[in-house]
Amino acid sequence: MNKTVLAAIIVVIAMLGFTYIAVGGAGGMGGEGDWVNKLAVLGAVVLVIVTAFVVTKYVRQMQFDKASGKLADENWDGIGEYKNELPFGWAIIFLGLVIWAIWYFLAGYPVSSYSQIGEYNEAVAEHDAKFEAQYANMDDATLKEMGGSVFIVQCAPCHGLQADGIDGKAANLNHRLEEKSIKHVIQNGSNNQLLGIEMPMPDRNGLMNANTGALISDAEMDAVAKYVAGGMKGTVGADVFAGTCAACHAADGKGTDMVAPSIAEFNPTLIANVLKHGKKGAIGQMPAFNNLTDVQVKALGAYVTGLSK
Amino acid sequence: MFHWLEKHPFFFAVAVFLTIAFAGLIEILPNFAQASQPVVGTKPYSTLELAGRHIYIKNNCMGCHSQLVRPFKSETDRYGHYSLSGEYAYDRPFLWGSKRTGPDLMRVGNYRTTDWHENHMKDPAAVVPGSIMPAYRWMFKNAADIDTAYAEQITVNKVFKTPYNTEIPMADGTKATVALAATLDEAKTAALEEAKVIAADMKDQDVKDAVAAGQIPEIVAVIAYLNCLK
Repeated sequence: MNKTVLAAIIVVIAMLGFTYIAVGGAGGMGGEGDWVNKLAVLGAVVLVIVTAFVVTKYVRQMQFDKASGKLADENWDGIGEYKNELPFGWAIIFLGLVIWAIWYFLAGYPVSSYSQIGEYNEAVAEHDAKFEAQYANMDDATLKEMGGSVFIVQCAPCHGLQADGIDGKAANLNHRLEEKSIKHVIQNGSNNQLLGIEMPMPDRNGLMNANTGALISDAEMDAVAKYVAGGMKGTVGADVFAGTCAACHAADGKGTDMVAPSIAEFNPTLIANVLKHGKKGAIGQMPAFNNLTDVQVKALGAYVTGLSK
Repeated sequence: MFHWLEKHPFFFAVAVFLTIAFAGLIEILPNFAQASQPVVGTKPYSTLELAGRHIYIKNNCMGCHSQLVRPFKSETDRYGHYSLSGEYAYDRPFLWGSKRTGPDLMRVGNYRTTDWHENHMKDPAAVVPGSIMPAYRWMFKNAADIDTAYAEQITVNKVFKTPYNTEIPMADGTKATVALAATLDEAKTAALEEAKVIAADMKDQDVKDAVAAGQIPEIVAVIAYLNCLK
């Protein structure tokens, strides 16, 4: 037995000892612990023995092996190169890697496995499924609560946290209509799709007061604007409303299906259509909010309708 | 050949470089060329919008506002569809930004309108309680630089073939054309026409008077730019 093999045996024993100290405490070597620990210890033992075997082989090769084969023609500062064949095992591994690389490039990991957008789509699908399951049958209170939270994110930047329109910068949603808006609509007409259909309201040149048989006058416009803005109470302006507006908006102002929207109160259909088409009126322009889901629109409808009640 | 290369270190280095560079080229270039094509619905900027974009850059808006929606549900819920690289095809330079002190503005044109921007630029805290954004009142007084905007339009049209005066397919199947005026005077007239539409939706009497008198205040150009971010 030569010195190298002896050294290898000493190294193996030393490394096994080290392994025992390092992982033996986990119970792997003492027969305790689970199979994962035992497997890890077995792996460590195999690694130590293989390492010692391979290292010994190469150390002996360096000690005793003689180079052989045909030298290449070139020679670099006295250092030559043998033209030996590639060892068979290496050639097999090389070819295997070439085949694997082709598979990897065409069908493997980067092309068909992970994508950021794929992960996003999965996250959205998972959330939507959970959302639908959780809010399939909402009671009114939950619906309004959801509407409130959507309102804070989507609507409050313009309508304000109190839905008061922030000093006239947007519509005050605690109140169906303001005088200014009513006058603007009477003056200019409206083609806002508040019913979801193109149903333009004529401007004042097309608004007849049936009581007088003439076009609506400035005084009548002021009176009816005050009347509607005031919640349709009292008598001033009521006759103008009955003669001019009621034909389409109904006597109680609650609108007529497929003809005119409610001007007495908010309702979920009206809100859904404003969200879908946007709106341009006396105060300014509101954009359409088509990014909201149907449930969110329904919730906002319930919440905003509830504000003025 | 390999023996020859091994004897010539310089050419060996060149060969290594070419090999690696070639691998890089076939991996990067086709993908990049495809991704940088404009998305359907992406239009070049009009003169007024481009002038607004210059004001946006001049006031360093991208220091606090990003223009890049990442593919996370929390972001797409708030800002809309995540950004695609082709949407920046006509942005020179793109204004992604790297910091969001304020919200992302990639698609602000979808959910804010002229009158909101007017209120907001005059006094941000009045519409967004607790906002730390400063007011930009000088934009209501300073005149927008239409000359530079027009010069940039001509440049990108000639150098990068940005498709002005060309039919561009839109998402809804229609075609849109962004005009490039033949002369500076025509460009100014066209920008003023665009400015009039925006000023009509504004409340500030000084701005309305200025536009009626043929001037274009910066605020009008900025709003034109913000409205076109969709």
